Amino acid sequence: MAELMANSGRCTYFFLYDGTKVQGEGDPTREGICYFYPEQTPVDQQELLCGQLAGVGRCVSELSSSPVRVLRLRHSKFAIKMEDDFFWALGCAMDFPTVSMCDRLDQLIKLFCFYNGPVRQSYQTNSRETLALCWSRYLFYLQAGATELHHIFSCLRTIDSTHIDPLLLLKAALILQACQRCPLVLAGCILFRGRVVSTQMPPCLTVRVMAHETQTYNKDERLNGMSSSFPLSSAVTSTTVHLTLSELQDLRSTTVDRESRPHSTPSQGSRPRRTRLSRTLSDTPSTESTPDLEPEPPGRPMRLDAPLSPGLSRGAEQRDATPTNDPLLSPASPRFPEISPLTNQKGPRRGGQEEEDEEDGPLEKSRYYSFHSPDGNTSQTEFQGEAPPPTDASPLGNPPPAGRRAPEREGYPEGRAASGGSGGDILPGAGVKDRTVVPMTLYQHRVKGLLLALLVEPHLQRDTEAMEEVYHSSLASLNGLEAHLRTVAPGAPGLQGPYTFAHYDCVQNTLTTNVSGRAGGDQDHSFVRATSLLHTHFCNSDALQEAIIRSARTAVYATRSVAQETYFLQHGGALRNSGVPNHQDTAFTLPSKARHRLLKHGVSLL
Amino acid sequence: MKCLLIASESAEVLFYWTDPEFRQNVQDQYGASQEEGQRPPAFEDSLNTLFAPIIISCSTMVDRLGDSYACFTTENQHNYVLHQFDECLYIAVNGDGQECEDDLRRKIYVMKKMIEVLFGMVNLSSNLLRKELRPQDTEQRTGLWKHLQGLLETYSRLRENDQSFLVEAVERLIHPTLCEQCIEFLERRLLPALNSSSERNGEEVLHSFILVHTKLLAFYSSRNTSTLSPSDLLALIVMTQSMYPSNTDQEDPGPEVQPPPEACSHCTTPPIDATYCSDVESVSVSGLEMFYTPQPSPTNRSSSGSGTSCGMAEDSLITLEVSPPDPLAPTRVFLEVSLKDGLYPMMPHSMYCRPLWPGITLVLLTKIPNSSVAMSVYSYLEAFAKLEKRLSEGQEGPAAARGQPTVHDLRSKLDKFIKALGPCDIQVPYTLHHIEAIFYCSYAQWSCVCLASRLIPWCKSMKTQLCGVYKQCFLNGTTRGADAPQRLSPALQELAQAMVQEKLMDWKDFLLVKSKRNITMVSYPDFPGLVHFICVDRSSGQMIAPSLNITERSTSELGGGPLAQFIRGKVWGLVRTARQYLQKGYSTVTLRDGDFYFCYFLWFENETGYKLDEVDLPVLPDDSPPIGVLARDYYRKLLRYYSKTHAGEVVKCYELLTVHLGVIPTEYILQHCRQLASKLWEPSRNPLL
Repeated sequence: MAELMANSGRCTYFFLYDGTKVQGEGDPTREGICYFYPEQTPVDQQELLCGQLAGVGRCVSELSSSPVRVLRLRHSKFAIKMEDDFFWALGCAMDFPTVSMCDRLDQLIKLFCFYNGPVRQSYQTNSRETLALCWSRYLFYLQAGATELHHIFSCLRTIDSTHIDPLLLLKAALILQACQRCPLVLAGCILFRGRVVSTQMPPCLTVRVMAHETQTYNKDERLNGMSSSFPLSSAVTSTTVHLTLSELQDLRSTTVDRESRPHSTPSQGSRPRRTRLSRTLSDTPSTESTPDLEPEPPGRPMRLDAPLSPGLSRGAEQRDATPTNDPLLSPASPRFPEISPLTNQKGPRRGGQEEEDEEDGPLEKSRYYSFHSPDGNTSQTEFQGEAPPPTDASPLGNPPPAGRRAPEREGYPEGRAASGGSGGDILPGAGVKDRTVVPMTLYQHRVKGLLLALLVEPHLQRDTEAMEEVYHSSLASLNGLEAHLRTVAPGAPGLQGPYTFAHYDCVQNTLTTNVSGRAGGDQDHSFVRATSLLHTHFCNSDALQEAIIRSARTAVYATRSVAQETYFLQHGGALRNSGVPNHQDTAFTLPSKARHRLLKHGVSLL
Repeated sequence: MKCLLIASESAEVLFYWTDPEFRQNVQDQYGASQEEGQRPPAFEDSLNTLFAPIIISCSTMVDRLGDSYACFTTENQHNYVLHQFDECLYIAVNGDGQECEDDLRRKIYVMKKMIEVLFGMVNLSSNLLRKELRPQDTEQRTGLWKHLQGLLETYSRLRENDQSFLVEAVERLIHPTLCEQCIEFLERRLLPALNSSSERNGEEVLHSFILVHTKLLAFYSSRNTSTLSPSDLLALIVMTQSMYPSNTDQEDPGPEVQPPPEACSHCTTPPIDATYCSDVESVSVSGLEMFYTPQPSPTNRSSSGSGTSCGMAEDSLITLEVSPPDPLAPTRVFLEVSLKDGLYPMMPHSMYCRPLWPGITLVLLTKIPNSSVAMSVYSYLEAFAKLEKRLSEGQEGPAAARGQPTVHDLRSKLDKFIKALGPCDIQVPYTLHHIEAIFYCSYAQWSCVCLASRLIPWCKSMKTQLCGVYKQCFLNGTTRGADAPQRLSPALQELAQAMVQEKLMDWKDFLLVKSKRNITMVSYPDFPGLVHFICVDRSSGQMIAPSLNITERSTSELGGGPLAQFIRGKVWGLVRTARQYLQKGYSTVTLRDGDFYFCYFLWFENETGYKLDEVDLPVLPDDSPPIGVLARDYYRKLLRYYSKTHAGEVVKCYELLTVHLGVIPTEYILQHCRQLASKLWEPSRNPLL
């Protein structure tokens, strides 16, 4: 797709510089350059940029005792990340919002860590060339396709739900639910031709999972423990991925009641369970079948998998393989309250999600118990059932004294912290939680353009029965779903009208807009410009609820709530005006126009 | 945690200012290795060491990438803004969240403006400016830096507390009758009296104005004089406030603290400096000292660039005693003059600040006898700059041919100029003649292209020499040497002071109160829900706004303390936001923010009040000069830009900012705005009151 407007969202430079490689006076700067984009940049210019920016970055961070976040030159700007002597810089054009630029850098780094594990470690085990390939892929992925608006909000690309039978979305959601009946499956998503159909994961994880799917050149990928030789089918592959402790914890908690714990705000109460979790994890054997990078202490007793999974999968096996016919699905649905088929975003209920949570939380839990106890699934209920309401006072839940964090990080690099034996000797604080990574497996089942991606516990792969169960339970429905989705006309333009709008769902990280990205007209351009300014303003101001900004040619109205941001521009009717305050000014009719017009796009501003 | 640093390209510190937190932070980083007694030089050194890598990297980037750093933000929200003016790099730092990037950039530009006002065209030669900013003599340097630090702190204080410095427009005291009387008094009595006196030593009073705190009571310029630009006027108010700071804590002087009338005439004679900086008890107590509670901010009243200050007590540099400056010595200021034949920036004037009573100041601006030299110097500088540009750009035959007559022209004019300088008693440096000779020699021989490049350095050198002449004429004589200062005689100055004091004697208490309550929101009962507004006439550089008193002691209808402080924060934030959008070409902004509804409008009118159509406003890059007046007059450029499409018409530009309660329906809010916009600047120029 030739996207004219995507240009300003493109990054101009991206590099990763390793400060540990250049410490002596005589060390050439190029030793420290791990990756530099654009790759054809002359080496001396690479050295200049890396050397100067990293040097100045260090100097400033010493002065302020805090890492540099944004570094701006007269003609370009850089999002900076400084961590463990690594220095990342992502350069963008000046008119690209700074907040979005910083988001993208974070996304990029997390994406890398998701597939390759901690950066320092992957550079120890892999060659720069191999990893350079990864960086360039991820960079390409994050910038590919979508319109500039998508870049501004760094949002997920979803299928256009207005053109799809809602039943198909429901079906997709049900497939995911069915897979989740295997307790080793944490969460999943269904993608169709690079767009999300349905997802159970938080948006930040969905983006990363999608990166793998969108890589058209993933055929030759054998890096990092990817093994495609599955006995079931060549359509199924799996890859090792790395989740941080907090991400993992959120995923695990969501299988119970995600609603009461929005992923963005891990509550205090969920901490104790995490420590239990890490102990459970530490017991997870990770020998031959887990294509894990880091050696783990062998010989730990198995506790979780052996008694648990077969029982469950057997139970599941007895049921019908097609989940839609499964009578048990209806009672099961409360168990998966997080399922959010994308149709949901239209409903006004997303806006008030936080309020609803309060009511739903306890209810879900009680249903969960009643649903699970007949299974006799003790081990499972042990760690999930103990998930206490936020009032739990386990000593393990308290964050460690700040002073302890740094040594912990060094003492237990990355995944080791999770496998460090009894949970008692590690008190993961927030920092450690975000930086400690746990290897998991990404199970992928492809049916032509459709992909089912599941985040599963690593030992699912050794559990043939469970594997087969997951595979068979979803196979038929996936085929059906694919056939239906294929018939939907791709890329039908959004409903056009004498207006331009963009509606961003902050919770699901999705965007609805009628800016096509192809036309790139004058109006569209000024709309995008205004949107990026207003979005930045929204990001920087908590109290701001709505805004109208008007220049001689255009007036844009923007409004936001906790869950969404909406931008609206009315075409036509040249705004001949003096700019003096005038209540007849058309700009001030925008709010009511937006309310009316956007209703048919499923956007409610009431 | 704040800091402002000016450094040369070789990382030499040309000026710095830090607040105590920043100083502490730097000392903590170097503290361990420093000896107690070694602090004073060490601080500058450690500052230098800390910033040197940034400064050097900055010039590397300029040299090799043609780009330089504009701003850094750290994860804990420290902001660094960098800007290079010629060879001087300005770095402003904030680590306490009180100033955003735009504020820091503004601070840098204001500092630059102050340096321009104080050093004039010396700014055009980086080499000379460097020497001026960092005098070899430690005592002199200490004095100068203190003076500049005082100006910077005064500016920051005003920007934080004073609405007129928030929007950078002059606020007038709203009392039409009194204002008229005062203007008449300045016109008919004061200026004639001064300009006809033989004691004026060749100076001529051009502008005179009376300030009550920062507000303008009366302003009068003598006929046929260029108008004083809003930017210069604001800069002069900062300087006046720096010399005679209004005591912000001293609200509403009650009758018990008022000095008896005889004390007022008495107070004119002792140098005010003493009442500021020495012990209150030891100086003759005339009741006046009650007003002069020492300020925490530096009360720098230096008029010669070597002032002293008691506010910087914790600065160890204070130990170097600086001789108290002569309070009657004028300050040399360089202001813009627009004449029929063009605009002359940075023309020398003398500024006399006479305190009438605490908080009320008379300011006189005079033209100095040899100021025509400055005009010539400027013309030559401009001519050489053009020549240099032409030489470096088009070195082709045609361009050179066009250049030739101008150069000959230049030469003959320059000869006349040098001759004319003779009687002015100015030692034209030998080198000027010397270089001039070589310049023309080479120029005469210039027939081939390659010589042009050899001429460019000579052009530069000529410019430096001219700046040198300028410096010698206007900076050295009066403000440095001080043996035979050129000034209005002390008696004449005192006469002026006494005349105005007599005129305002009955009004002074009223004025001091009025300046705190210029207009109040109570006066607007027809606007229910209107919390605050600011209206600015950008063509005249004046503003009107209800007073927003935020000190503990005073109460406005917003109440004292926290609530007023909250509204203040909202208003300050609104101005910041409005500027951000204006920079990107949006002239109308409305925001619903918490419980408030904000509006901002900018529009153009012609002289008769007819509202003119909007045009596309320029979209400026992020690091363009801050939108405002004091440092760079954005609105003047905007008016010029707008006038292009409205030739032959006088175009006026207005701004209105309002804060309403959020519960008021939008229609009413817009109606209020409309009414305010039409009423506030009615032809009478008198706002509602």
